[in-house]
Amino acid sequence: MQESRAAAIGAPNHAGHEAANDPAPLFVAPKERFLEFRLQPTSQRAWMLGTLGALGFFGLWELGHYLTAESARKFLPSVEQVARALYVLFSERNFLHDVLISCYRIFVSFFAASAVGVPIGILMGCFGNVRALLNPTLSGWRYLPAASFIPLLLVWFGPTDLAKIALLFIGVIFFLISLILDNTRAVPKELVEAALTMGASRREALTGVVVPAAMPTVLDSMRNMIAVGWTYLVIAEIVGAQDGIGAVMMRAGRFLNVDTIMAAIFTIGVLGILTDVLFRVAQHLLFPWNVERRS
Amino acid sequence: MDTAATGTAPPLRAIRISKEYLGGSFKALDDVSFELRENQITAFVGPSGCGKTTMLRIVAGLEYPTRGRLEVFGKPVVGPGPDRGMIFQAYTSFPWLTAQKNVEYGMKLMGIGTGERRERANGFLKLVHLEKFAGSYPRSMSGGMKQRVALARTLAQNPKVLLMDEPFGALDAQVRWEMQELMIELIEREKKTVVAITHDIEEAIYLADRIIFFSRQPGRIKADIPVDFKNGRRYQRKEELVRLPGYADLEHRLFAMMREEIQETKTA
Ligand SMILES: Nc1ncnc2c1ncn2[C@@H]1O[C@H](COP(=O)(O)OP(=O)(O)OP(=O)(O)O)[C@@H](O)[C@H]1O
Ligand SMILES: [Mg+2]
Repeated sequence: MQESRAAAIGAPNHAGHEAANDPAPLFVAPKERFLEFRLQPTSQRAWMLGTLGALGFFGLWELGHYLTAESARKFLPSVEQVARALYVLFSERNFLHDVLISCYRIFVSFFAASAVGVPIGILMGCFGNVRALLNPTLSGWRYLPAASFIPLLLVWFGPTDLAKIALLFIGVIFFLISLILDNTRAVPKELVEAALTMGASRREALTGVVVPAAMPTVLDSMRNMIAVGWTYLVIAEIVGAQDGIGAVMMRAGRFLNVDTIMAAIFTIGVLGILTDVLFRVAQHLLFPWNVERRS
Repeated sequence: MDTAATGTAPPLRAIRISKEYLGGSFKALDDVSFELRENQITAFVGPSGCGKTTMLRIVAGLEYPTRGRLEVFGKPVVGPGPDRGMIFQAYTSFPWLTAQKNVEYGMKLMGIGTGERRERANGFLKLVHLEKFAGSYPRSMSGGMKQRVALARTLAQNPKVLLMDEPFGALDAQVRWEMQELMIELIEREKKTVVAITHDIEEAIYLADRIIFFSRQPGRIKADIPVDFKNGRRYQRKEELVRLPGYADLEHRLFAMMREEIQETKTA
């Protein structure tokens, strides 16, 4: 009845065979592919895929173990063997002590590197003269392999904590400065200009505008550099240390305890992930204004 | 409002300003002088690259002229200051502060106490119709809202001169229109001396009491045109304005001048 009336008045009802009161048929979207541009998986799906990826990794590892010739298997222990080694490390060999020592070294050195590097990077990013003064020298330092300082640091400080912390410091700070310089330069200059036209002094513009504007990306740079810190930590502990994760690995290597080495590597990986999570949580807590809000 | 205003001195006087770039081989501005009259809205119009932004930034103190000088109410000024508020085309509301704290920022720099600051910020947020968003961060705001936060922040400092460089250039047509109407409303209430750069001739006629037209290479004032067909009134409704006798003539004149400029550079 609706239909015929619509037709009678000549309403633009092209369908003709559909009653106007019924809801329009559901739109049939094309099938979703795995490799879909612009697709953001739901968080459940992301967890599932992430777990799948991890399982795949452990599966390949296990497969590798069983495909290795019987005589060489102890050089590629299975997942269970490594897990057992990990358990033994913690329960019988006081591995927790080594882990804590390594964490202490990482955090002290990284804190020192940040305390020096972040202000320098920000000043360089803000002021062309500071940049011109420091950049040539600092760029040079960036090309020196930090590991080449090990002999020097051992001569200066002996096999002390200070030597290890200094190595991490040297390994991290120059890259940190250059990242933070870029973070600072990426702050829109209009923000600073707006502050200046409102009567901000240079100091107020620096502390009240540049620093808060750059902080989220600075924290990201720090997150990336602390990962590099772990690299140098292991080098430092392998070369000259009685304790720490690197030292444990070195000792295990001497006795061909591959499962222990792998357990230690695995531990570093887990610590790395935890550090990463820590930084991400800090990002959310410190800079809520920068967090994408889904409504 | 400002009793310190010394008798006859204008809110802003630019005296024989020249600006050279590239070690003097490029003249962006050549001997430009003008005076702003109190509570007058002036529009800077002209072809792209004629030096409008350069002139405004010199007035704001963000750049220095090669020659000439600036006076605010008869006193020479060097460098930026809160007596000349600036609204940029890019969004400059601070993303780490809520709308409320953004508006308070300038007042804080002026040393206004917490209580008064909060109260005045609320007033200005209401003025730009953002009272409901006092606690929101700019990230969750549209471009027009961010620009209104910047406007409230600048007005809250009660500047003697308000400078705007294509403030609505990044907004779409309808939001732009709303912002233009809001500007008229605000300026009528706050009694401000304003300079606004615009590419948009219609916008210039709608907002301005006076249009300074720049020609380029080197940047000079080509014409200083009073928008007198409005008879000293400001019309909030555009549809009324375009009906007034004189509107079409002025628009025609400005378009013709713009074409002249474009052709000059084509043949040059
Ligand atoms: N730092 C600089 N160095 C060299 N030349 C510059 C500099 N800043 C501006 N100019 C030149 O000065 C001239 C005027 O620039 P300005 O930005 O003031 O023009 P404008 O009128 O605002 O143009 P538009 O309408 O496109 O914004 C341009 O030719 C520009 O290239
Ligand atoms: Mg411009």
